[in-house]
Amino acid sequence: MSRESTPRWEAALKVTGRAVFPAEVQAEGLLHAVLAEAPIARGQILSVDATQARLTPGFADLVSYAEAEPLRASSVTALIRESVIHFPGQPVALVVAESLIAARAAARAVRVTYEPQPAISALAQALDRAYAPAMAGRIPAASRRGNSEAALADAHLVVSERYETAVNNHHPMEPHAVVCSWDGASVTVHTNTQAVFGTRAAIAHAFRMPVEDARVIARFLGGGFGCKGQLWWPWMMLAMLASRRTGRPVRLELTRAQLFTLAGRRQETVQDMALGFGLDGRLTAIEHHVLAQTSTHAEYSDTTAGVSRWLYACPNVTTSHRLVRTNEPQPIPMRAPGVAPGTFALESALDEAAARLGLDPMDLRARNYADHDQDAGRPWSSNSLLECYRVGAERFGWSRRPASGTAIDGRWRIGWGMATTCYPAHRQPCRARVRLEADASLLVQCGTQDMGSGTYTAMGQMAADALGVPMSRVTVELGDTLLPEGPFSGGSQVTASLSPAVAMATTTLRGRLANLAVADPESPLAGHKPEDLDFENGMIRARAGNVAEPLVDLRARRAPEGLEAEGSADGPDREGQAFTGMGFGAVFVEVGVDPDLGETRVRRVCGAFAAGRILNPLLAKSQYVGGLIGGIGMALHERTVTDRASGRILGASFADYLIPTHADMPEFDIAMVDELDPLLPGGVKGVGMLGTAGVQAAIANAVFHAVGKRVRHLPIRIEDLIGD
Amino acid sequence: MSDDGRLALSLTLNGQPCEVEVVPCDTLLDLLRDQLGLTGTKKGCDMGACGACTVLANGRRIKSCLALALAYDGEAITTIEGIGTLEHPHPLQEAFIRHDALQCGYCTPGQILSGIALLEEKPKDVAAISEGMSGNLCRCGAYPNIVAAIAELAGL
Repeated sequence: MSRESTPRWEAALKVTGRAVFPAEVQAEGLLHAVLAEAPIARGQILSVDATQARLTPGFADLVSYAEAEPLRASSVTALIRESVIHFPGQPVALVVAESLIAARAAARAVRVTYEPQPAISALAQALDRAYAPAMAGRIPAASRRGNSEAALADAHLVVSERYETAVNNHHPMEPHAVVCSWDGASVTVHTNTQAVFGTRAAIAHAFRMPVEDARVIARFLGGGFGCKGQLWWPWMMLAMLASRRTGRPVRLELTRAQLFTLAGRRQETVQDMALGFGLDGRLTAIEHHVLAQTSTHAEYSDTTAGVSRWLYACPNVTTSHRLVRTNEPQPIPMRAPGVAPGTFALESALDEAAARLGLDPMDLRARNYADHDQDAGRPWSSNSLLECYRVGAERFGWSRRPASGTAIDGRWRIGWGMATTCYPAHRQPCRARVRLEADASLLVQCGTQDMGSGTYTAMGQMAADALGVPMSRVTVELGDTLLPEGPFSGGSQVTASLSPAVAMATTTLRGRLANLAVADPESPLAGHKPEDLDFENGMIRARAGNVAEPLVDLRARRAPEGLEAEGSADGPDREGQAFTGMGFGAVFVEVGVDPDLGETRVRRVCGAFAAGRILNPLLAKSQYVGGLIGGIGMALHERTVTDRASGRILGASFADYLIPTHADMPEFDIAMVDELDPLLPGGVKGVGMLGTAGVQAAIANAVFHAVGKRVRHLPIRIEDLIGD
Repeated sequence: MSDDGRLALSLTLNGQPCEVEVVPCDTLLDLLRDQLGLTGTKKGCDMGACGACTVLANGRRIKSCLALALAYDGEAITTIEGIGTLEHPHPLQEAFIRHDALQCGYCTPGQILSGIALLEEKPKDVAAISEGMSGNLCRCGAYPNIVAAIAELAGL
């Protein structure tokens, strides 16, 4: 297959403003919805009085827990069926009205009385109630191999430190939205979800209807990053209830402030890390214990300590995750979940060890390279980490690294740091359909959605390449539960999941076309062997002799109605696999620190990544850069702050929650290391998350290199770097 | 004023006369998106902090979520729908496609309108482009490619 950097398939629609996002779907008689929120952090709703709200001009309906009670009970509907308040800002009612302004006024007029109860507004307030969950993400929460306690006692050097990361919020630029309308017992739901099929299943369960009666559509998503999933469903369902009751289409859009409370967050972590080393700089022990926040209504733990189990060779490793329930919003996965905070701790600690051992930080890492997955006890499907170190170091100029604290550029102290990154290669079951249309153009379909990562392009390219049709003749349809079922968007897995399904569909289609050609006396290819035919530039061409036929001619004679094929692929059998799929990379960073002002600027970043076969280098590079920028935000900008007295979010806006801007951008150099992975289907690993992790520690390590200050929490702020 | 408190407003919208009725607290953004169906202008934060709602008012870039529609009576408003079409895109739109200056595409119309206005402001170097575009947030991280696209048109 070619390694073409074709432009984003849907780019023209997006740059002209013609791409229609779910909130923008037009509907006749649309009602506007607004959520009324609880001001208290914990307690019981005693009454909901809609008397004044109903008098507001334009008022249409109100739904609260009483109206939601007929929904089927589940963890999804609990928040809207029950009268219990778990966190400040929790919606207690949804009002629909003729205009957005009228709905806002009516929502303000809803009178709710509460019986408040004492709330926990910080992890530190309930440390005695920390508990161990069974799972951290997709892996068991605790692990043990060897004897880390004994190994630490015998170690030549022990680095034992605490690292902390702040709460982050996802903040896709497009807020969550739904436009829904009922037609009798069936419903059409336009919503920006990262999982149209999961959303459909949740709707069918809650509304006690067959899945066939619910259609969920998400043609375009304005970003997701993990937050456009199940935490949005309760509020979406309130809008659906109001729509069913009024018999009119309803639109609900979350406000930017609500993205701090109603759509999930990256949980804060307190990580206790102990590394033991032998005289030779080899790891003899790793202990990585994570404490994190979850809510009082749901449980979630990132796989934060996972990286310590597999990234380096070490015979004695103990890890654990513990959670504390607070009356704060519920955490969920966010951009490189677990791996981003986990590598911050592990890769910072390794940097501390390198300084104390007098070793180059990259050499120390290379010395501890894991030649197989020691956690699972099986080989990697491929691992090009050493090559990433070599390529990244060469491009960055790592060998010319100045002595710590010696490089100065005007008011800036210059520091260089590096870190390793990794992300597991995930895959889900997937079906896809490829159709050769009557005009010999291609239609490629899968129900999975594109949240901005390039799924339209990747899928179109796979089919176009396989059938030798130019991208300009390919139409891609995604984001609709009426299409063949595909995976949710998360964990950088969609391209890897699509690849085998599209390959199966195109292989079937090619086979049928080839058979038609060789069996057709009117075709110049008649009598050739089907397996000797190539598909390129709209032609079917025999490998031997100068014989070819345009695809359009064969189709016109032999398949006038067009021809289509479906492909499907199962997800991997995780336990049964004989190998571990993992992407790896090395990130090198130069920072400038102004010691007087405490300001840190990232000046340049070089990332060398190996993630199997790269379908489209142009888009892959954008994904890596985007991930690195997300990582820079986590390292230097982003921190969601809870007011410990009220439990409410302080500064719930982009004015206070800082994310990277144009002016914060360093110079990026991305190296995509060639990697042939013969074991993974299609040889494809995920890209998006790989760039997001590692860079946080690389920045902290560079700050240390610049000014000699070790900052063990994120984000690194001005107050961490001023003074002595 | 009509019975329900609506007031007449006349704009030149994307070069065409546009007569509408609005209530005094309608923002230009809600007028465009909800009343006129011009959804190319995006609502990212509704508080003037993200730039997704950027439009041009008499050629100057403004955040339409902070603009009361009535305050623009008689003025010329340009939205992304007035910049280029699928068949005839603006050179900056073409440059965005070439440089892959977008991912999810939600901030893109605002970035393009801001970029077009910035080009009129004659940035002296690439750093001035980065600085001048910093009111337009992008969460996917397309910043370097956005600046590259604008710099190409600025001849920098």
